[in-house]
Amino acid sequence: MSTQTTSADCLVCDAPFTIDAEWEKGEIVECGSCGQEHEVAEQTAALTRLELAPEVEEDWGE
Amino acid sequence: MNELEADVLLSVTVLRPEEKLLGAALRARGVDVATVLPPDLGAIVRGGAAARLGLIRNVSHQQALSTARLLEHVGVQTLNRTSAIEVCGDKGLQALVFSRNGVPHPESHLAFSFAQVREAVAAFGWPSVVKPVSGSWGRGVTRMVNEECVDAWIGGRESADAAGKLFPVLVQEYVDKPGHDLRVVVVGAEPVVAIRRVSDHWRTNTTLGADVERVEVTAEMAKLCRGVTDLLGEGFYGVDLVEDRAAGALKVLEVNANPEFAKSSAVHGVDIAAAVADHVTAALALSSAH
Repeated sequence: MSTQTTSADCLVCDAPFTIDAEWEKGEIVECGSCGQEHEVAEQTAALTRLELAPEVEEDWGE
Repeated sequence: MNELEADVLLSVTVLRPEEKLLGAALRARGVDVATVLPPDLGAIVRGGAAARLGLIRNVSHQQALSTARLLEHVGVQTLNRTSAIEVCGDKGLQALVFSRNGVPHPESHLAFSFAQVREAVAAFGWPSVVKPVSGSWGRGVTRMVNEECVDAWIGGRESADAAGKLFPVLVQEYVDKPGHDLRVVVVGAEPVVAIRRVSDHWRTNTTLGADVERVEVTAEMAKLCRGVTDLLGEGFYGVDLVEDRAAGALKVLEVNANPEFAKSSAVHGVDIAAAVADHVTAALALSSAH
């Protein structure tokens, strides 16, 4: 599930995100309304696409 | 230009502060960097990557290894190398490689069953340590101080993994360290900074709250790090050293192929991202010259 607009909404509570031009692809951003973490799947001048952030897995680490 | 066409592919699971710093340091040196998430790999493999280097920074060990393999197979060198990522992601392999090549390391046994865990712990005596072969941040690392500990570990494990699919595990001698361990950050083949991680807890991971202080890189530390890079190749590593009080010498506890540094850099003041970016820039210049 994802959004493909320049004005992304939270994928859980639909609250609008305030898009930050400083966001980078792969960065984790948090919904200011419900706290759900999202990953910036794409970030260009024309498009910001968010996906739900991946959950921490067993094999995550240094 | 396709956004995935760049000099360096920065492969991540999520973009942590470390990767933001690395990307910024590379771009400041005029290097084109494209951030690559796992879904991007299909296009890269189908289209053939024009990139010259894959900087593997996936926080998922499995993703790091599979991404490095794919990139190497489409002709893109990776940092770290696939073979190094494979060894660093498996504490059992590390123990084997270090043992066979004379790198000082706590004595370790791979156990493939609950019975073998009991046997290995009994052989080491109390205390000894059981740890998963893959995993990080001190997760799952358990100190066995008596038979009841072993019973509890096995009981918990049996309820979560009755079929024993999560074996092997590593059973290791407990190193009586002086309340701290050491982390040396290696870039290329050079130890660029060493920190002491101090904790009241026997696990001294910074993620578990250990305090960090900078120490000088001694000749002994440098020699151990050189032993590691001689085996794994030049790269970007966090080499964890532990002082064995009984032996009065350092041992290589483990090597991390994806070291975190953002928080500790603020304490020790060494710009790790810049050091890595300089190393990558030099490697790119070298490959251009050939």
